[in-house]
Amino acid sequence: MSVRPTRRAVLAGLAAALAGRAPAKAGPAPRIVSLDYALAEMLVGIGIPPVGVAGAEDWDVWVVEPPLPPGVVDVGAGLEPNLELLAALKPDMILTTPYVAAVGPLASRIAPVREFALYAGGDPLARARAAALELGHMVGRPDAAGAYLAAADRAFDALAGRVARLRPPPIAVVAFQDARHARIFGRPGLYQSVMDRIGLSNAWTGEANDWGFGVMAVEDLASLTPDLHLMSLEPVPPDAAPTLARSPLWTALPFVAARRVSVLPASLMFGGVSSALRFARLAVEDLEARA
Amino acid sequence: MNPAVSLSPPRLAALLAFAALAATVVVVWPPLWDGRWDMSASYDVGRMVLLHATLPRLAVALVAGAALGLAGALLQQLLRNPLAEPGTLGVSAGGALAIAAATVSVPTLGGLGRDAVALLGCAAAAALLLGLTARRRFAPLAIVLAGLVLTLWAGSLTAVVVLANERWLSGFFLWGRGSLVQHDWTPALALGLRVLPLAVLAAALARPLGLLDLDDAAARARGVPVTAVRLAGIALAVALTAAVTSAVGVIAFVGLVAPALTRLAGARSIRDRLVWSATIGAVLLWATDMGVQVLTAGTGLFVPTGAVTALFGVPVLLLLLPRLRATAPPPSAAAFGTGTLARGPASAAIAGAAVVGLAAFALLVGRAPNGDWTLALGSDLADLLPWRWPRVAAAFGAGAMLAAAGSLLQRLTGNPMASPEVTGIGAGAGLGLMAALFLLPEPGPATEAAAAAAGAAVALGGVLRLGGRSDHTAERILLVGIGLVALADALSGVIMATGDPRGFRLLRWMGGSTYGATGAAALVALAGGAIALSAVAAARRWLDILPLGRATASSLGVPYGAARIVLFTVAAAASAAATLIVGPLSFAGLIAPHIARELGFARALPQAAAAALIGGALLVAADWIGRMATFPYQLPAGLVATLVGAPVLLLLLNRR
Repeated sequence: MSVRPTRRAVLAGLAAALAGRAPAKAGPAPRIVSLDYALAEMLVGIGIPPVGVAGAEDWDVWVVEPPLPPGVVDVGAGLEPNLELLAALKPDMILTTPYVAAVGPLASRIAPVREFALYAGGDPLARARAAALELGHMVGRPDAAGAYLAAADRAFDALAGRVARLRPPPIAVVAFQDARHARIFGRPGLYQSVMDRIGLSNAWTGEANDWGFGVMAVEDLASLTPDLHLMSLEPVPPDAAPTLARSPLWTALPFVAARRVSVLPASLMFGGVSSALRFARLAVEDLEARA
Repeated sequence: MNPAVSLSPPRLAALLAFAALAATVVVVWPPLWDGRWDMSASYDVGRMVLLHATLPRLAVALVAGAALGLAGALLQQLLRNPLAEPGTLGVSAGGALAIAAATVSVPTLGGLGRDAVALLGCAAAAALLLGLTARRRFAPLAIVLAGLVLTLWAGSLTAVVVLANERWLSGFFLWGRGSLVQHDWTPALALGLRVLPLAVLAAALARPLGLLDLDDAAARARGVPVTAVRLAGIALAVALTAAVTSAVGVIAFVGLVAPALTRLAGARSIRDRLVWSATIGAVLLWATDMGVQVLTAGTGLFVPTGAVTALFGVPVLLLLLPRLRATAPPPSAAAFGTGTLARGPASAAIAGAAVVGLAAFALLVGRAPNGDWTLALGSDLADLLPWRWPRVAAAFGAGAMLAAAGSLLQRLTGNPMASPEVTGIGAGAGLGLMAALFLLPEPGPATEAAAAAAGAAVALGGVLRLGGRSDHTAERILLVGIGLVALADALSGVIMATGDPRGFRLLRWMGGSTYGATGAAALVALAGGAIALSAVAAARRWLDILPLGRATASSLGVPYGAARIVLFTVAAAASAAATLIVGPLSFAGLIAPHIARELGFARALPQAAAAALIGGALLVAADWIGRMATFPYQLPAGLVATLVGAPVLLLLLNRR
């Protein structure tokens, strides 16, 4: 894990300094524990990393970017964080989501609990932006949060420009679950928000669940538009590729025959602004490499 | 068989086949009708899907259904138990565990692929089962119990693996729940090639199998090598189950329902039962799979067929239950005898002291934030106690209630497999919780608890209604209970397969976690355990007499029917209360009464009291291990209890 501050933390600090309100109030940063990756990722982006994160040991597998600063304590599973450990951390605030809401009454015996709903219908990217601003106010760094979002917007705009030059085909984003089934992502998911933001079109407009994905058999991919480009997200089950390579149905799919299939590194599907930006960058880089 | 309804196995099979055919036409017709059956086109979506997805899927459904039906018929004959099915042996559970563990620990699967790993897991489970029952000469009761325990154990290990890797294993729920989706003929052909020779062998074994209708001694007298036949038959059933599980995962209930339907339709000879169980199994799975495809077409829902077979199977089973004719006498608990280790008041005092010591240990010993082991005393303990004592107390109270309920149920039904879980009370609570989670917008903890209680009450009502109605209640109660368990299991399988994140909350609750226990809940649990034991004490004479039967009980002045209803109510209420606190996975209720008996507590009250102490201690230990083993992560107490308790029970069963 990297020790140096993240690019965004530096940017945020710079922005704060330029605004002439350098490290506000000079009080110690509030000690926050996040039971959710997306909220933690945005706190890191704002420059006030949490003292504890649920599931921190898997951060590098699912979130990757921004890296979690060293010394952040893993408080256990989000659904059942270790309360003895949580109490010992003496946090000022504990962040939850509706998914882990059952922890709320217990955790509120330790510190005030604040619930954020990023995935509760509507556009998750818009909800994440609102949450980032609120987090900024909460930690006393509204300017840093603003700078974080402004930097993300500039990056999104730049990526949208690159997409416009590419004129890419419709994209289908899938995560293979085994050799026969895949999740496919659509509205109201984070990846759909990203596609809308940078001008990509989604080849799948089917009915998704509240979290923005559906489950498909490989044969269902045949019913999608034949000119699509398939992006399959890591981690891909190891037996998927060899099994699919033997399948007459898979190899005959027009986009497979034309080799418009790529594998993207992991990015968090239930993420915040940083994860959205990571997916956008990975997708555009992949399309450019193939242009 | 009632002559007014002239149902025969061929007619039943034809009826199911007609439904399946109708659904097949609905699925297959559009691509043909659209004029897409044009072989000259180089690529055609409809044709590709029909040839390489729809048709191989149909073939897999037929072969897998036949294999499971045949395996079920073999097992029900061999174990003389109409509840036996491939799942009872723990073979499918072994395969599922192997896949889950391999997916996590050796992502490349050692180059073997899913099929081979599953087959290895199935074979290992079968070998373990046979090894454990060899000393009992593969007696039906020993095999069913060992198989059940093995299933629970493998299922718990699988759940631990899944919980520890929740984001990894979404795919496991599709495979594990028996999705029949195909995009290639290879699996269909491989499955067919494995099942065909096994079916031929089963046919060759038909005559000696038929002679097992007699009891073992009579069969031996006719020159049947009983042990060898039983071993060969079980090996066949295991191989059939393993072939299906490795190809398409766990398909619930076909192995139970197909032979049951065959029997109800009037098949008498063993040859008829084998042939028509396989045929009806094939057609049943075909019809189910086609029904799933027709009903989910265009809805965007993905539902694995193996989970749905239970949704179809349970109502069929319940509807036909009153017509299920009595089979060979069910195995009796007396076959176990009792141990001689502990007798008299001294052993009770020792047991009590051990429980107090264990509780103190669980309260004092823990791990510091950096993971070091610590002994909490003084002000440290004052800080930690508010977190620890409700969990320790709730675990003990729930374990005691489950064990008391389990010992009541085993005594009342005369069936050593009976436990709160098997009677469907835990499953009822689980169904209630599911309804709250998925039908209500963002239910609170209080709503969830109320819904679970309502579900438990409905299940309890159903069990009581059956329990009060006839003399052949033991089997029926177990059948209804197993049906409810399968229904809850199937629904949770459908939920997990959709990848809905709420599924993990369900999984965690079903694992039996004391995490959310408040001080009030803990006190209620302790009080519940005390009340259950008081009820056993008040009714101890009934309990000693009821197992002797209605006639004996009546002559001794015990009101047979009323006494049974009262005692069932006590058992069900204790189970429901415990389930609300530590989830429906009540292995303590099955194992604790057995350990108590093995230790030498034979009469009703001492056995129930010892079982309650053992059940409570088991869950306290399990909860502590769950809090410590993967610190700062935690494993649910119910799962850990199963992991620890199952091997103990197997060792005890195998001791003589």
